[in-house]
Amino acid sequence: MGARFDPAAGLGRRLLADPWFVTGASLSLFLVLLVVLSPWLSPHDPHDMGYAAFAPPSADHWLGVNDGGMDIFAELLAGLRNTLAFGLVTASAGLAIGILVGLASAWFRGVVDQVLMRVADLLLAIPAVMILILLASFYRPSPWVLALVLASLAWPTSARLIRSQALGLRTRPHIAAARQMGGSSAYIIGRHMMPELFPLYLIAFASKVRMAVFMEASLSFLGLFDPTRKSLGRMISDALPFYYLDVWWHWLLPPIVLLTLLIMAFTFLAVSLERFFDPRLRAAWAD
Amino acid sequence: MGRLSVQELSVTYRAENHRLTALDRVDLKLAPGRIVALVGESGSGKTTLGRALLGLLPASAAVSGQIRLDDLELSGLAETQWNDLRWRRVAMLFQDAAGSLNPVQRVRDQVAEPLRVHRGLTLTEARMQADGALAGIGLDPALGTRFPHEVSGGELQRALLAMAMILEPEFVVLDEPTAALDSGTKGAIGRWIRQAADAGTGMLLISHDLELAVALADEVHVLYLGQVIESLPGPALLNNPMHPYTLALSRSVAGLDTHRDLGGVRGDALYRVLHRHPAGTGETDEHAHLVGSAVSHAECHLPARGCLFTPRCTQAVAECSTREPALEECNGHRIRCLRGGIVTELRLQGVAKRYGDAHALHPVDLELRAGETFCLVGESGSGKTTLALMAAGMLEPDLGERVFRGRPMDSWPRQDRHFLARHIGVIQQHPARAVSHRLSVFDIVAEPLRIQQPRLGRDALRERVFAALRDVHLAREPEFLQRYPHELNLGALQRVCVARALVTEPSLLIADEPTSALDPGVQAKVLKRLLDLQIEKGLTMLLVTHDLGLARKVADRIGVMRAGRIVERGPAVRLLNHPEHPYTQELLRGSFRQPIAAPVR
Amino acid sequence: MLTWRGHLLAYLLTALVMVYLSYRLPGWLPGDFVTAMYADSHVVLGAEQEAALRERLQVDGGFGSYLLALARLDWGTSHAFRVPVSDLILNALPWTLLLMGGAHLLATMLGFVAGVEAAWRRGGRIERTSVGGMTVLQGVPEIGTGVLLLMVFAYHLGWLPAGGGATLYVDHGFAERALDVLRHLALPLATLLLAWFPGNFLLARASMVLVLGQSFLDTARAKGLPPIRVRYAHAARNVLLPMATRFGLRFAFMVTGALVVETIFSYPGLGTLLFNAIGARDLPLIQGIVLFSSLAVLGINLVLESVYARLDPRVRVYGRAL
Repeated sequence: MGARFDPAAGLGRRLLADPWFVTGASLSLFLVLLVVLSPWLSPHDPHDMGYAAFAPPSADHWLGVNDGGMDIFAELLAGLRNTLAFGLVTASAGLAIGILVGLASAWFRGVVDQVLMRVADLLLAIPAVMILILLASFYRPSPWVLALVLASLAWPTSARLIRSQALGLRTRPHIAAARQMGGSSAYIIGRHMMPELFPLYLIAFASKVRMAVFMEASLSFLGLFDPTRKSLGRMISDALPFYYLDVWWHWLLPPIVLLTLLIMAFTFLAVSLERFFDPRLRAAWAD
Repeated sequence: MGRLSVQELSVTYRAENHRLTALDRVDLKLAPGRIVALVGESGSGKTTLGRALLGLLPASAAVSGQIRLDDLELSGLAETQWNDLRWRRVAMLFQDAAGSLNPVQRVRDQVAEPLRVHRGLTLTEARMQADGALAGIGLDPALGTRFPHEVSGGELQRALLAMAMILEPEFVVLDEPTAALDSGTKGAIGRWIRQAADAGTGMLLISHDLELAVALADEVHVLYLGQVIESLPGPALLNNPMHPYTLALSRSVAGLDTHRDLGGVRGDALYRVLHRHPAGTGETDEHAHLVGSAVSHAECHLPARGCLFTPRCTQAVAECSTREPALEECNGHRIRCLRGGIVTELRLQGVAKRYGDAHALHPVDLELRAGETFCLVGESGSGKTTLALMAAGMLEPDLGERVFRGRPMDSWPRQDRHFLARHIGVIQQHPARAVSHRLSVFDIVAEPLRIQQPRLGRDALRERVFAALRDVHLAREPEFLQRYPHELNLGALQRVCVARALVTEPSLLIADEPTSALDPGVQAKVLKRLLDLQIEKGLTMLLVTHDLGLARKVADRIGVMRAGRIVERGPAVRLLNHPEHPYTQELLRGSFRQPIAAPVR
Repeated sequence: MLTWRGHLLAYLLTALVMVYLSYRLPGWLPGDFVTAMYADSHVVLGAEQEAALRERLQVDGGFGSYLLALARLDWGTSHAFRVPVSDLILNALPWTLLLMGGAHLLATMLGFVAGVEAAWRRGGRIERTSVGGMTVLQGVPEIGTGVLLLMVFAYHLGWLPAGGGATLYVDHGFAERALDVLRHLALPLATLLLAWFPGNFLLARASMVLVLGQSFLDTARAKGLPPIRVRYAHAARNVLLPMATRFGLRFAFMVTGALVVETIFSYPGLGTLLFNAIGARDLPLIQGIVLFSSLAVLGINLVLESVYARLDPRVRVYGRAL
């Protein structure tokens, strides 16, 4: 691929003129604010089971109370926090591995490249969800362990994306100059190659968060996490059996809406960044 | 066999706030067996014309004028009617051979496809014929079963040609058929095209490759910003251009048998755009302007009427931006120029000189056309210098008349001699004798300006002197400027003379052995600078030299002198490669160690 | 680049690793694995069962005999259902194949055609709105669409059944039976379609737009080919590779969505089976389903590897474009 990454001047202004970017950014800002402000927004402990079950929304319980006597709004905020945290941790870890592998693969080429890329191919073919289900049901590890396992399964897409761009970068004169000056591989990768591809990381990060949030919601929906852990997916699966009752609009709907907003926010960010840096980089969408 | 012609064909592309004029009232006729070449820079509209012949213009194109195949009017045909004609009667080879075949289909199947669609052949029949066609153009039929990326560029181009000819169309449009090919393959494909034309196919050759056009075409049309600016018989293109643009183009070719250094066209390749400014930001009526790189918007507004080439023309006059030239007959060419093509800068008619009984110069005719370099070569005493001095107005002929820019030189009133002096720069043969020893370097170079433009301010004078010195790579330090000629070596002095000749920015430079005293390194730089001035300002040069090597590097035309006569003259390419006069042949043999290459064509 | 045989070898090795993992995992559980496995399971083991289980897990003939047992379809016994795991999987499989296969087929074909046609009409208002709409739709997860569709069409409008794969205990003729299955299929299928179609559409459109700028299409048009042939035989064929590549890259993640959708609609496929197994901590069943679906996904990817080169001969030379 001949695409070049030259972080152009005035990029910020151009991004702010893109409705997709603005929508995605403001949505994610809104959701992050919800999480940060949750102690002030909801006074209730999401784990407190001491309220009247199935109570409709009131001034005290904005979204009412669920079947277990827990405040739904407090649950919702806690769930959002956990889901988002899972997404961010997975994406950061996955991206970090992806960057390292991608750059190393492009820089060293030869055997290193062959081996790393074959491993990436195979990981791409393994259904990550199956590994997670197996681990979760046997060992019931903490969500962070699962996040890291998911990250270690989900790096290949970004690694391949970064590698394909870094291959072109490798032959640029300033890299050759750094090499001639005696820079070590680690120095060149860290000081020169890594910063050059920055926009790629943004794209990869946004689409990875999206993927991880989706996975977390699905896994918790399937009941693979600790049942007491709050999560948007778990809330949906808890509320789903009662969909025929009137509680659906204040119990079932809010987590669905929040989850959709969360995934949408990162989708829009990824789409917008991708269009800016190179419309050909559809590969970022593999996540 | 029919005729394919376009009349008054105009194409404009609509974009958001402007319209791009790709073709402007172009007339063209294709006939069986003839190769018509269309040359021009990128953006001149060549490809648009080719595509128009197959109805392949994008939806944003507005077409007016006629495209006729025999008696059938093509413009305005419905897509299905076009499809009936395409490839069967008119085929096309697109630019970018590598991208012209579908990467996911085998070569043979793509070559065979028209047979299946137009003739309804079965797959096996079509494949057999395709194999035959591939073999016919010298390709291994096994190659047909490969995919396009498994085939080399030359083979791909041949396969495309085979595909274009598979239905034996009456006309073929070839868009850059040899771009990106090595010269061997290029030659083979060129010969094949010629054969196909001789067999009766009418060809439209679109190329920026003038050499190819010259080698193949029966007639050449030069396209500039959508207008045909010169139409000429093919072989005349490199030797006898009539339009200044064609001259500049012909100098841009790195041909094998040309020796002259590459020139170019002044300015930039441009597009021609019609647009309106949004309300409140200048002119709101639709107006034309040119788009090039790094030119500000205001600078490139085209005159509403007038010659399109004006901004890049070195001989434009006021009239050129007010009146539109028509395509008119001129010496067997048809050109679009108000000044009748390249103007004659200087014409000497029957000039002769005798000193006592000795004929220094027998009656001689010499014509210098604007922007060309004419080299007079010959041994010493052949009359070169005499002729040059007469051209410069420094020596009166006994007989004959001299006309500079349309005015007879000998009957000029005295006050007009400044005009002559300002427009003709002279570099004399012996630099040491050509300057006063009482003047400093600065004063020597400033002298012509002081004489001709006495009211020029001190700063302006300094600036122009410095510019002239810079042109010839001389120092501008005060210490150097105050030196006197005897303190300079011959090389520096000769460069001072060149600077003096150029300081008035003349349009005609007459130079008698201008670089004889220079080191090779400096000589190269000075000559390069002179050639640059020629591109930028249209400088005409009459160069006297005994150095054939120099002549072949700079000359457009060469005149060989012997005993007061010009024994042979002609375009440098022709004269150096195929000398006709025995004396020229002798001269050439003396100059080159190895024999002259055998004629190419 | 690996040859086809190289791919086969690599995939076989991966499959072996997966099988080995599933074989070793129970042994790595802390403490007495039987107690650990069933400590907080809903399943109450009878003493007899526990003894049988211990025997089965301890009479360990090594990895080789485990493999043999797998090949003989001896995948263990579900404790919640007290039926062989293989029976459960084979019963659920047709439903999953029907749902996922149908959704993939429709999403890919519709996405391809719609994307190609949209790119062909690029610049128009319909194209712009559809690209915008599909981008938005791409941000809606299966859970969201599934639950909303369930509520609107099954509960509020009551047009379609809320769950299951077919109406049970009713004696239908073939046509009625087929219609019944289709009615049950409609909602989960629509959910998956909404989730998968936008990505396919956007990719097909973007790839097609790139293809449309290439000169072989000029050649194709100049040959006087009928428009439909230019569009599909020449242009759209080049869109197949990116679409297949995306399918391969995303397939492993799409499985997750299918699991969720089956669960939402209690569709009697592998997803619901897995959900129930997880709920009951029915470990042999979980293990069986995970292993089975992993191998199936690997198999499909292996098939895809051979398809890439057929779709675009350049892959053989340059390797799959990312």
